[in-house]
Amino acid sequence: MTRGNRILLSCTYWAFVAYVFVPLVLMVLMGFKDSKFIGFPIRSYTLEWYMGIFENAEVISAFAYSVAIAVLSTLISVFVGTWIAVLLEGRKFWGRAAIFGLTVLPALIPGIISAIAFRIYARYLGIEPGMGAIVWSHAVHNVPFVVLVVMARLSTLPKSQIEAARDLGADPLIAFLRITLPYLIPAIMGASIFCLLLSFDDFVRSFFLGGYEPTLPVLIFAKLKSGMSPEINAIATAALVLTAVVGVWAERFTRRMNKES
Amino acid sequence: MTKLILNRRKLLTTAAMTGAALASPAYLRRAHAQGGEVNIWTYNDFVPAAFKEQFEAETGIKINIRLVDDQGKQFSLLAAEAPNPTVDIMTVAGHRFLQFIDSDLLAPLDTDRMSNWGNINPTFSESDWATINGHKWGAPILSGMEVLAYNTDYVTPEEAETWDTLFSEKYKGQTAYIIQDMMSIVMLMKGYDGNMVEYLGDPEKAEAIVKEARDFLIEKKPLVRKYYDGGAEVQQMFVNQDIMLGHSWNGPAAALINDGFPLGMAIPKEGSYGFVYTFNIAKNCPNPDNAYTFLNAILANPEIGAAMTKASGFISTYKGASEYLTDLEKKSTSFPDEQLANLQFFRAEANEMKYGFVDPAVEAIKAA
Amino acid sequence: MTYDASAREDRGAVPATGSDRTFWGRLASWAPYRALVQLATATPRRQFLILAALPVLWVLTQHLGPMLQMLRVSLTDAYPVAAGTEQHFTFDNYLRFFGDRLFWMPFFRTLGFAFVFTLCTLVLTYPVAYFLARHVSPKNRMLLLLMLLIPFWVGEIVRTYAIMILLGNTGAVNLALKWLGLIDRPIPFMYTSFSMGVGIVYLTALYMLLPLYSALEKLPKSLNEAAADLGAGAWTRFRRVTLPLTIEGISSGCTLVFLISTGFYATPVLLGGPSTTVFAETIAGFFHVAGDEWPTGAAFAVIMFLAALILTTLFQKFMTGLRKGERK
Repeated sequence: MTRGNRILLSCTYWAFVAYVFVPLVLMVLMGFKDSKFIGFPIRSYTLEWYMGIFENAEVISAFAYSVAIAVLSTLISVFVGTWIAVLLEGRKFWGRAAIFGLTVLPALIPGIISAIAFRIYARYLGIEPGMGAIVWSHAVHNVPFVVLVVMARLSTLPKSQIEAARDLGADPLIAFLRITLPYLIPAIMGASIFCLLLSFDDFVRSFFLGGYEPTLPVLIFAKLKSGMSPEINAIATAALVLTAVVGVWAERFTRRMNKES
Repeated sequence: MTKLILNRRKLLTTAAMTGAALASPAYLRRAHAQGGEVNIWTYNDFVPAAFKEQFEAETGIKINIRLVDDQGKQFSLLAAEAPNPTVDIMTVAGHRFLQFIDSDLLAPLDTDRMSNWGNINPTFSESDWATINGHKWGAPILSGMEVLAYNTDYVTPEEAETWDTLFSEKYKGQTAYIIQDMMSIVMLMKGYDGNMVEYLGDPEKAEAIVKEARDFLIEKKPLVRKYYDGGAEVQQMFVNQDIMLGHSWNGPAAALINDGFPLGMAIPKEGSYGFVYTFNIAKNCPNPDNAYTFLNAILANPEIGAAMTKASGFISTYKGASEYLTDLEKKSTSFPDEQLANLQFFRAEANEMKYGFVDPAVEAIKAA
Repeated sequence: MTYDASAREDRGAVPATGSDRTFWGRLASWAPYRALVQLATATPRRQFLILAALPVLWVLTQHLGPMLQMLRVSLTDAYPVAAGTEQHFTFDNYLRFFGDRLFWMPFFRTLGFAFVFTLCTLVLTYPVAYFLARHVSPKNRMLLLLMLLIPFWVGEIVRTYAIMILLGNTGAVNLALKWLGLIDRPIPFMYTSFSMGVGIVYLTALYMLLPLYSALEKLPKSLNEAAADLGAGAWTRFRRVTLPLTIEGISSGCTLVFLISTGFYATPVLLGGPSTTVFAETIAGFFHVAGDEWPTGAAFAVIMFLAALILTTLFQKFMTGLRKGERK
């Protein structure tokens, strides 16, 4: 690879970084605007919007509600997803392709269609709109991502380890819990982060299946009705900082786990 | 190993925190349990925060608000919940009553149970649209209208006196409107009844009129910058100077004016339509007594009406509410009498026929 | 003392190191547990059935269920059913699409947009993924990748408004160009297919970047070096070695992006112009306006999804053929 090509590539990378980050920088900046609307020119700045978040009970409760939903739905997704991955990886059986296809189906259905399908199905099952319904829809929607990530890791598990454990007299369940599961932890962590973020960010399913308590994206959408204000930008920035911190922490955690095993 | 242990401990702390968050009653509470509650579907800022706090403290009734963002969604949600809804009070616009009443979703209001009913300006509470089948169906709270909003740095008030400016070559690519609403206004511009009540017995004529309005908007499509849906969008277009003038509801436009943006609004001479947001009680609602307590309390004094106006930009229906507004707020929520004379209210009688023609026409304009 | 406690607990989570007859040992020799395991794993067949029960049940009831339910609604004449009326089976909702040219334009426009945006995303992200996988030291790789991913987690709506502030007539780009003296009048970027593309690629880049990155990362460096030894130029090496070996990543990335972009709603509605109405908007209209249009909305959603599925299946077939062709 020539030097020129390398420089060109690195420029493309940084141009892409700029494309991705500039709107973000604008968002953070607008949170400081002393006005009820975002946009240029900014005549004066204020810290009021950012400070206000911590006093706004509505925002904090929506945030906590979103986090609770994200955690619960992720636990379900990870449990079911790992189970499905263990079934599918490295096994040949009749109907495997069909099960695999059905497994990834929720990830392929466009957002609004999936939300409406869930709404209709919830009505059919008699699930009332509310936290349970949102958790359920997020859990189902996120399972495919867990399956794909865990299957990828599972395919690299040395078979000899399991066999050794079996030779030592471990039954399949114990062999799974003591050898396979610890080996899968990095993948499960990665998938969990993905699920947490997907759930935390979801608007359309939360809206169609929600009750009186708004999730953070639903609250933001409702606030938008009275204008895109710097307040919304400040809330989004705070949420982003928090998710980013969780993301980076989890990445380091996973990396350490990798080293340990 | 040490690192791992530290991380595990951190993980446990996080788990404990999550557990605490989950145990907190706010999220586990069944939002529509029996007892001291009232469940409301409404727009953001329609129930002032200060009022909510005071009401809850004085009556012990907890207000649960589900924020909605359009009339159609409220209808779908309520239709899905009927005949035993979770909601007590909804926020329906006056001209949408009929759809809800026909589907048997609203309970008629017993105005005798509200000692403060008289605090509403009779222009709104006793208007022709307000009484259907001999009953009142909602307590008017805020009034809105379709206006022509314009950037005063670029557009003169004279230009804003007619809807024609919205379709002039001069402002090509600098205008925006909501197509559904514009259909009614175009009918008015062309001298027809945009409510279509006049043509109830003559669907063919109605269809021809809708077709004429549709073809007009298709012809003018090259001139428009954006067909929008929500108030926040039109505000952002004005702030970014992507448009110089556009059709808007008065609420979002007033909010911009109050923020110091050089915006003006007018009810053009061809006329325009107004609508009134009302609080309504759902049929078979779980807490009817609390609902009446709430309605009576929110109508109690003009200050509450003024607070709603400040937050939403729409005009209060309360007698004397404007006394509690600043000069700028007053300016942004009042119109000259000669302009107000051009205003009429949306009516619902012919909606089924009207929207049967208008909805496909809107699709056709978008697709053209 | 907490230190000791957590240390002992930890041992359970990692593979055995030495003789520990702790929790696991005790569990394994506990009679009821052993009986249960005996029962469950008596034959390989039974073991498999127990393993398969939950996944099969889950995907059938949770993954397939909602779609079937929607299919059912799309074949009825009214939903939700009003009291005192009956629901009838009908194909009318589907025929309505084929009978009215009005709906074709947004439909084909959506497919066209999805195709173009998929292509744009591929062209934009391929060099980025290539740079990350081939030119960044493994130590920094994760960090640089993560850096790209973080912004994708800002809510769609807020980010879309940020793009408006970027591209508006008094937006950051126009201000910068004016300041540089390149323009006198602002360029109207907003409410065109351009602004819509800027917003959409933001949403799709992630789904393209990850498959491309993992495909490129797997590629052995030695292959490229061997080709270089044989005298192949940079472009030839890319075309003959790198590209064919990453076709799988390209194909799965494109499939994912195409399917997802047919369903975007908020971004096209907010960033598009009068002539960029997409099919998702048409579909959403049936659910917003009134309750009785749900069946039509559901039918249109099914049509959209099937069309996207058929197209991506054809595309995958084509890519597989291409890969086989290259191998010969």
